[in-house]
Amino acid sequence: MLELRNVALKFKDGQDLIKPFSVAMKPGEVVTLMGRSGSGKSSVLSFIGGDLPDAFEASGDISLDGTELSAVLPEHRNIARLFQDDLLFPHMTVGENLLFAVHGSSRAERLDMMRTALQRAELGGFENRGPHTLSGGQRSRVALMRALLAKPKAILLDEPFNKLDSELRQQIRDYTFAHIAARNIPALLVTHDRSDAPKGGRIFSINANGEVTHV
Amino acid sequence: MVRAALALPLLAVFVVPLLLSVALVLPDTFNAQGMNDVWQHPQFAGAFRLTLLTGLASTTLALFSSLLIVARSSRSLSSRAGGFLAVPHLAFAIGLAFLIMPAGILARIIAQFAGWSAPPAWITTQDPYGLALTVALVLKETPFLVWALASVLNRDDLRQAFAGQRAVAASLGHSRRSVFLQVILPQLLPRVIWPLVAVLAYGMTVIDMALVIGPTQPPTLAQLIWVDINNADPEVNARGAAGVVLLSGVILLVVATVAALLRCASTAISGFWSKGPHQSRLRLTSLRHLPQRGRRREAPDEVSSLWNAFRIIYVLVIATLILQSVSGLWVFPNLLAEHFTLSAWKRLLTDASPVFTSLALAILTATTSLAASVLWLESVPQSKDKGLLWLSAFALCLPALVIGLGQYRLFLALAISGTATAMFFAHILPVAAYVFIMLQGPYRGFDDRFRSAASGLRASRAHFLRQVKWPMLKAALFSAFAVGFAVSMAQFVPAQLAAAGRFSTLPMEAVTLTSGGNRALTAAYGFALMALPLIVFLVAVRMGRSRWRTV
Repeated sequence: MLELRNVALKFKDGQDLIKPFSVAMKPGEVVTLMGRSGSGKSSVLSFIGGDLPDAFEASGDISLDGTELSAVLPEHRNIARLFQDDLLFPHMTVGENLLFAVHGSSRAERLDMMRTALQRAELGGFENRGPHTLSGGQRSRVALMRALLAKPKAILLDEPFNKLDSELRQQIRDYTFAHIAARNIPALLVTHDRSDAPKGGRIFSINANGEVTHV
Repeated sequence: MVRAALALPLLAVFVVPLLLSVALVLPDTFNAQGMNDVWQHPQFAGAFRLTLLTGLASTTLALFSSLLIVARSSRSLSSRAGGFLAVPHLAFAIGLAFLIMPAGILARIIAQFAGWSAPPAWITTQDPYGLALTVALVLKETPFLVWALASVLNRDDLRQAFAGQRAVAASLGHSRRSVFLQVILPQLLPRVIWPLVAVLAYGMTVIDMALVIGPTQPPTLAQLIWVDINNADPEVNARGAAGVVLLSGVILLVVATVAALLRCASTAISGFWSKGPHQSRLRLTSLRHLPQRGRRREAPDEVSSLWNAFRIIYVLVIATLILQSVSGLWVFPNLLAEHFTLSAWKRLLTDASPVFTSLALAILTATTSLAASVLWLESVPQSKDKGLLWLSAFALCLPALVIGLGQYRLFLALAISGTATAMFFAHILPVAAYVFIMLQGPYRGFDDRFRSAASGLRASRAHFLRQVKWPMLKAALFSAFAVGFAVSMAQFVPAQLAAAGRFSTLPMEAVTLTSGGNRALTAAYGFALMALPLIVFLVAVRMGRSRWRTV
């Protein structure tokens, strides 16, 4: 369970961006937060991830499975993030990108987990290829697999379908939601496009005054 | 607090020494006696004229040739200029001198056709008008300005804007030349002011190059001052110090005058340039720009022929140094020496301490500057970069004489003159300035979302830096190191003053040798001075190369 309690954002100069709001995401649930560009929706994700830029100030509490996160370093929060761009590390092969996310265990086991993930992404045999040789859809799938290989306890989606063309968008969207459901982890999706939200999922919207309301 | 402390190394090796050096030279402004003595110097008028002439002529010519090269090249030259930049001015001047002097290779080649049996009565090096010095400066500074211009044209945000404006202007019937003059140039020039000022200041204050190839009776103002500063007589010394301030003032005045003139003339100039496309040409150019007709043939790899001429000259200079360094007795019109010998190289290697001193200092200062810059960029918010960038640009425009003299006094006051510490600080100041300028753009341009993505994958900051950020920035890191290395190798003025006779470096040794008669040995030192930064540069390019050939 990922819980936000009275989370609010403002600029360093004191101007309010988002007024206090609370929401709890259950395991396997994808909650959508909608807002125009500049509404601060991505900054909410940065706050949850633990790397809010210096220009902002945030208040409120975040907890993950009952653990308060405010004092926890970003790398220890166990929250994966996907962005508009896939952000595959361009100097690593597809396989190395995935291995970057695999922790612990022996080398053989780690390789095995990486190859299983590649199979799941229908990219078996792509292990030694550079990310630049992949198509947009393939890259998105690798990025998702990489995020999930870190065994996150929650996942944050920052308009991850935005740069895909409409047909591919639908496909990657379904693929992403299916995997999140299978892992049974909570997810928060921010977007400006309502059609990105999963069917039947809860949707919150940031209005022009910075108030967050359930739609 | 801990994070703020990470900014300290760069402040300690660069900012504090820079400010202290300047502060220690400023009082000489008020030394009326010294100023008067400079004025009264019997060679002052001639030296002053030469300084103005060589400085202004070389900067103007370098600007024109670099603009010609950039305008005529469709391919980005910023990465290709690096090899030229790695060549130290002094080494280039030594090679050029051996190429164009009366008994030089050029004269020998002409002699084959003209039937000369004795060297011509040319005064091609150390000519009284400073022409050889001007030519050497143009040849050396043009690639630097090409690099500066190309980096602006290549900046991510500007490249797209320029491409769009080019297309719009072309669709209005403007030729490529007209687009460059009317659309690109006015936006380009204001962005290369600092490099231009640096080139002018360098041209007006250069010493090592002038000692090799510059005029002697009278010499340039900088050389005149240099002699005074190295004089033990306190009165003469004070005259030199006053001269340093005076020369800086002259540069400031020249820059201000040129800026004011350009401002007054800018309306007239843009009025002269801002013409619509010529009617008859309108049809032709618009036809030429119709891609579907296949009329527009712009090779993607087009490079200005002037650029290729520069390449040929640099290769000739390098070849001259090699040939000269192994030549024994070499009777005039002959193209090759009677016999070849490695004795110069043997001598260089038997007393190799200048080589090792230079090498050690270059590695140490480039590494320290790189580490200090990275620490700064990792710990200080980007908003604070501006001041440091300004200081770096200022340091590069400041005459080496000012920094050298200020540091010399600082080292004396701290009683470290002639120590390894003094040598380190004398070298690192300009190195740190260059490394920071080179690194700041790429480092701050790094997409911070990679860090967020990596911490989402449970990667610590150290792990992220080692595995992701630094490998992704390796081209910028390696080339900043290579530039720092080259800058350190080329240090002469501050090094000579700080050494207090206890250390000798490659450039110091090379300058001493040029006044002697051993051409082979001089060439060997010149070549060593040139080869080391070039090798480091080539290795840096190689190591900075992307893993994937296609990117």
